[in-house]
Amino acid sequence: MPMLLEQDVSTGVTMLFTAILVGLIACLALEEKIHAKKSVISVAFALPCLFLGAALGLLPDKTVVWGGHEISLPAFIPSVDWNVISIILGASLFVDIVSKSGLFTWIAIRLTRVSGGDPMKLLWFYGIMTVVFSAVLNNVTAMIIVGSLTAVSLEKLGRREKLLAFLLIEGLLTNIGGLLTLISSVPNIIVGTAAGISFVSFLVKSAPFVVVATAVTIVLGARMFKITKLASEEERAAAAELVSGFDENDGIESRGFFWFGAVMTGLFILVIAGASSLPVISELGMGYVALLFAGVMLLRFKHVADRFYQAIDWDLLAFFAALFVTINVMEHARVLDLIGDGLKVIIGDGEALGQGALLVSAAGFSSVTDNIPLAAMLAKILGSMPPDQVSSGLWWSVIFGANLGGNLTPIGSASTLVAVTVMHKHSLPMSFGGFVKAALPFALVHIGLALAYVLLFI
Amino acid sequence: MDKVDQFESLFKSATKQPFQREDVSVTSVAVVADGDASTVTAYAARLRGFLKVLGANVRWTEMPSDSFASIDELLTHLEEDHPDLVCTHRHVGSPNRRWASTLGETLDVLTQATSYPVLVAPHPAADHADAMEERGTETVMVMTDHLTGDGRLINTALRYTSPEGTLALCHVEDDAVFARYEDAISKIPELDTTATTEALKARLLKDPGDYIATCDAALKEAGVPVTVAAEVTFGHRLETWRELVHKHNADLLVMNTKDEDQHAMHGLAYPIAVEMRDVPLLML
Repeated sequence: MPMLLEQDVSTGVTMLFTAILVGLIACLALEEKIHAKKSVISVAFALPCLFLGAALGLLPDKTVVWGGHEISLPAFIPSVDWNVISIILGASLFVDIVSKSGLFTWIAIRLTRVSGGDPMKLLWFYGIMTVVFSAVLNNVTAMIIVGSLTAVSLEKLGRREKLLAFLLIEGLLTNIGGLLTLISSVPNIIVGTAAGISFVSFLVKSAPFVVVATAVTIVLGARMFKITKLASEEERAAAAELVSGFDENDGIESRGFFWFGAVMTGLFILVIAGASSLPVISELGMGYVALLFAGVMLLRFKHVADRFYQAIDWDLLAFFAALFVTINVMEHARVLDLIGDGLKVIIGDGEALGQGALLVSAAGFSSVTDNIPLAAMLAKILGSMPPDQVSSGLWWSVIFGANLGGNLTPIGSASTLVAVTVMHKHSLPMSFGGFVKAALPFALVHIGLALAYVLLFI
Repeated sequence: MDKVDQFESLFKSATKQPFQREDVSVTSVAVVADGDASTVTAYAARLRGFLKVLGANVRWTEMPSDSFASIDELLTHLEEDHPDLVCTHRHVGSPNRRWASTLGETLDVLTQATSYPVLVAPHPAADHADAMEERGTETVMVMTDHLTGDGRLINTALRYTSPEGTLALCHVEDDAVFARYEDAISKIPELDTTATTEALKARLLKDPGDYIATCDAALKEAGVPVTVAAEVTFGHRLETWRELVHKHNADLLVMNTKDEDQHAMHGLAYPIAVEMRDVPLLML
């Protein structure tokens, strides 16, 4: 494996920073136990990393050349991937404002009514909705919308005993849906961008897997948790009457804004999909598209725009920024070289075995800690390797592994954590071990399907 | 977690309790009134005129107050007769009619210790007793502070509303109670006082408003020719109720009088029953 940087770094320094990285990952894995937000943890590691990096002379010259001009920037500015940050900022702001139009709740309630209150139909509708929302919005928002609707509708239908099963299946499906597009999850954005995969190419490659995995998850879930169709005409009539009380128009304050939100969502997806080929837009990138659409939507709420700024997940954004800074320092301290050497061992046993081993180890790693540092590190390492040594299967192994690993444990992804939070909110017992036990069959099927898909079709 | 709660609130808000129309059967009416047999017969005739909406196929039974020596005896008569409605007046069986601050013990027992709906009409000797026959039940007003989901109250009121008449569905939130909440909210630093109180106010009025809308839609769909009028507001209870009765020129007021957890009359019903003596009341 080639050296990532030319400068000399002693083994002791590399080991010191490796220990810091292990500490960061351990703290992120124990985030709930140490009662600290991700941003605080990552900043607490990024700042000493920067200090040590500067003190040991590891950091590059703070002068960067841009448009022929030399600009002096502190190391923590250019080390952040601002395209990723702006995609997350713009997309979350856009989704938050569109949700005020009542569009997403309208879709969710409409589907509930169409189901007639039949548990089996509800499972299919909510499952597909979870996947689509995870793909179009993000998996956390999808879980929040579908999870909260599930709690309310099953309560209304008198089927609270199925709530835990529904929430678990939906939680697992968020990570399947998170695989559908380039912007569906942060690992996709990071790895897809680093690999140079376009939105359309990403969608075409991931869609067959997502469709199959969704269907398998729902069928398996229905069998495991005994979710069946309503048997008699009386049961169907009673359930239909109960769901008829749902009014999908309740959350729509303005018809005009509702349609505007719907059109803008469609446009957003189209422009994001074509961002790499549209003139001008291709130069500005997807981050610009996300910010542009958020800006247009903000015009509707120009007098109360600050309310939406308050709703932005600053914890997540600060976490990313600090993480990028830390990884950048790790790169200069040759920690990524060290991991790259380990990776070489994993992927060195032939293409098929290498891809499989990478997918499984990425899944295992992301099941116990945040998949974002993993995706960011592996993207950086794979991106620095000679292109002829990095097949597309390796990139996809990281994408599948980082996303699907979240289904192994409740802390493996933010959306499964939301699912568990909704369970606890409704006094449903779900321990760490209980989640692993219930989710393991699904996660193994997902990883098995992904392995077969990557090895046979990518 | 905040967002989960936020979306759960949205979905809970979208879960409406639709009005279910049900027929209320009234086939027998007992008239319990003071006076001798002829006085009571005349009084019953006036009530028949007032309640002509019930139709001709109703069995009317007259029970003059001198036909029972005690409330127990009256209850025994009623148990044998088992009417769908008891018509009576304040201070029935009591010589203390001049005490306008009470309803009389017989009426208290009838409304609280039996399950019969009780129509409280003006006293046979009252000046405005004659007018009731001419008025009929053109406008029937439902009075409550908890309208949402109370299909029984509305269906009963509908049964007593003349064809082509008006069913006024009124829900009044007590502004004095709300003022206390507003004061408490204003002392919680985490809450934006104006935004929270406005949102709470709007929410309290939205549910009954939505319920009335489903009632109106259900009656239209069923082809019931009654006009539904909606009054959902904040107000100072008795004062606002008086204004609403005056505004709609109500012929009959319908309200709940029973509380599951107490023997005493429902908080809203008693002052209305005592104070509004010139409009007949149907107490459920």
